[in-house]
Amino acid sequence: MKAVVIYCHPDPESFTAAVKQTVCAKLQSAGAETRVLDLYDLDFQPVLTQGAWRAYEDESRNCEGVEAHVETVRWADTMIFVYPTWWYGMPAMLKGWLDRVLVPGVAFHMPQGEDIRPALHNITRLGVFTTGGASRWLTAFIGAPGRRTLMRGVRLLCAPKVRLSFAMHYDMDDSTPATRERHLRKVARAMDRLVRPQSGERA
Amino acid sequence: MRRVLVLHAHPVPTSFNAALFHATCEGLRAGGWEVDGCDLYAECFNPVMSEVERVGYHTTPDNIAPVAGYVDRVREATALVLVFPVWNFGYPAMLKGFFDRVFLPGVSFELVDGTLQANLTHVHRLAAVTTYGATRVRAFAAGDPPRKVVTRALKACLHPGASCTYHALYDMNTASDGRRTGYLARVRTAMEQF
Repeated sequence: MKAVVIYCHPDPESFTAAVKQTVCAKLQSAGAETRVLDLYDLDFQPVLTQGAWRAYEDESRNCEGVEAHVETVRWADTMIFVYPTWWYGMPAMLKGWLDRVLVPGVAFHMPQGEDIRPALHNITRLGVFTTGGASRWLTAFIGAPGRRTLMRGVRLLCAPKVRLSFAMHYDMDDSTPATRERHLRKVARAMDRLVRPQSGERA
Repeated sequence: MRRVLVLHAHPVPTSFNAALFHATCEGLRAGGWEVDGCDLYAECFNPVMSEVERVGYHTTPDNIAPVAGYVDRVREATALVLVFPVWNFGYPAMLKGFFDRVFLPGVSFELVDGTLQANLTHVHRLAAVTTYGATRVRAFAAGDPPRKVVTRALKACLHPGASCTYHALYDMNTASDGRRTGYLARVRTAMEQF
């Protein structure tokens, strides 16, 4: 298994950092080769520039400046996002990563005059682990846009039978050490299911 | 006073989305609005919330210091219009970062006894003008996250009776000139009547 963990939080002491550690520990014990993209630590530049936009459809140039990220996405078979939910979505930093790295030729193909075709067939496991201030009910009422952007939007680009995993700690502002501890155990269990061998894969 | 803040995020000044931004501002002016056009790329807005901002997020009123100018513009508005392309079923990072950094506790919402309260009650109207690469069917299959963020989450921060309209042109990659021109004209008319 080759896993890429896309991690995004500005504060190294945040609870999200603990979630990342839980995810990485599970990957390690499953024997996965793991690469972590810590977007804040890398000082990732999330703004799609005018130059990048003009080169967007040109597959020979649209990875300029993010070659290492693209190489990692192509190398991986497991993609895991760890981030806080702000305004029902990903932080701008992570949203910009999607915009700049999941470009035509990498994540999908854009044939002239036709609908797009998925291209992340190498991704057979997709995990999303997040936290949010809103309650579960409010998030559901709003329609969980952040979750949908990844669990449906990105999922549609992955292998048809991609295995999915999602866990969110809601009501973060009312969280206690007990709820956070419980959530880390939930993440650990979700990871156990996610990393289980898939058909055709050596155990 | 009728003052509208128009937020726009597209990197290319000659793009169709920029044309929508200009048509929106012109339409609103023709309709008698005082228009504050905020082109986030042109203003070199930084969408990344820093560690210091995150740690001080709940400390009102000091939390607004890094973005005080933008907070003032939000507070002066009685209407809000967003003009943006949908990328990967979401806002461009540039626009997402505006909400992350500017829509702070004490600005767009307050936490009162643990419950969220709308704070932009001076804003009575909301509209979005968007373009999608995806087809309508594909956007629907994905749950159309940007539509939900605007019409539900963002609207919830405004006056309880605030109106909300969401304009969308889907399947931009195959859109003919006729479809685009038609959309541009519809947006301009809608804004005149806003």
